Amino acid sequence: MATPAASQPPAQPSRGRPLRARSAWSGALIGVGIAAFVDETVFHQLLHWHHFYDRSTPGVALVSDGLFHAFGWFAVVIGLVLVADLRQRAGLVRRALVGGILAGAGAFQLYDGTVQHKLMGLHQIRYHVDLVPYDLTWNVLAVVFIGVGAVLLRGAARGLNSASAQSS
Amino acid sequence: MQHQQDGPLALLAAGLAVGGAVVQALAAARLRRRGDRWSPLRDLSFTAGAAVLAAVALIAPPGGTFTSHMAQHLATGMVAPLLIVLGRPVTLALRSLPPGGRRRLLAVLRSRPVAALAYPPVAALLDVGGLWLLYRGPLFAAAHERAWLGALIHVHVFAAGLLFAAVVCALDPLPSRPGIVLRGAALVGAGAAHAVLARTLYAAPPPGTAFGARDLAAAAELMYYGGDLVEIALAAVVGLRWYAASGRRLARESRRGAGCEAPPASASYGQ
Repeated sequence: MATPAASQPPAQPSRGRPLRARSAWSGALIGVGIAAFVDETVFHQLLHWHHFYDRSTPGVALVSDGLFHAFGWFAVVIGLVLVADLRQRAGLVRRALVGGILAGAGAFQLYDGTVQHKLMGLHQIRYHVDLVPYDLTWNVLAVVFIGVGAVLLRGAARGLNSASAQSS
Repeated sequence: MQHQQDGPLALLAAGLAVGGAVVQALAAARLRRRGDRWSPLRDLSFTAGAAVLAAVALIAPPGGTFTSHMAQHLATGMVAPLLIVLGRPVTLALRSLPPGGRRRLLAVLRSRPVAALAYPPVAALLDVGGLWLLYRGPLFAAAHERAWLGALIHVHVFAAGLLFAAVVCALDPLPSRPGIVLRGAALVGAGAAHAVLARTLYAAPPPGTAFGARDLAAAAELMYYGGDLVEIALAAVVGLRWYAASGRRLARESRRGAGCEAPPASASYGQ
């Protein structure tokens, strides 16, 4: 890449270069979107465990929830578009994508389960039951998602390093 | 403000919507006679938007009083604007107007007030901020008493929705070209404010009004989930446009990589 052309932008091979970071971020966006979507469809609509509105919900929880609700839809659409773009550039790193999805979904679920449900006092996971097992399952599952996601992301990074080490 | 559908103002609104669709069709026909390409999907989208406007002006949507009102607002403030914006009315006007008219329209588009309105946070504030004033202030109750105020509110809801959809989608040439991050942030911010407002309506009606608890809950959920659908559609427009632009960039890069002459680095101003 020692072309002396001064007007050229920094060398950017357009196709086929693995775009690991972008794959991971696309995954994170999709993950947040999926978690928000599951929260909405499964727990609000299908199981009716969550309530649409609690009379006691403080304003800050409503704002936080509204923000994540709106961001969730936007994130899943943009994440999918980013994946489509990674494919048209032949730069999709699958492991980074899946790692990103798991980490993103886990992070959102953990935030929802700790900050929104507990600290801010948004609606609870379920009503008229002992909440402890629900809260534990919810948050432990979130941590597991984050952990598996992190392992995959590290694996993707190492895979790239060894690949570049081989090629150089 | 929401049930008297057959007043002269409703007829006027429906007439304007139909008139707009006719003007659009004539302008598109003019382009095609001249030999320009103009996708029939744009005509279809614009006509559908005008039809939605005319329909909700003449026929009250079903449901309780407040739910029906909410459906009407959703249609005039979100669905119809999106459909109309997808028809690219400004591009059509710029192409089909005679030179004098085009120059005047361009001058308006490049004027300072329009530039300010087309700044995404401003458009979002006008759109959702107006709704907050309407439902959380005394406006809604006041509009019940005065028909003209109700009509004015409808006009504002439609105009602000149109502005917001146009700015977020950025399909038509805008005075300043806000980046995708700013447009996305405005969309998420407006979506959040819309969702929070819908949730508060679930618990308490606009000040000075009383609706049945069922009616209120149905209206709030309609606002919440209806808003979601349009937000997803807007995000899809933004995302797909970016995807197409990225594909073009990619094609350009690979042409350059293949040894062709690099195109001049002049800033292109729309197509």
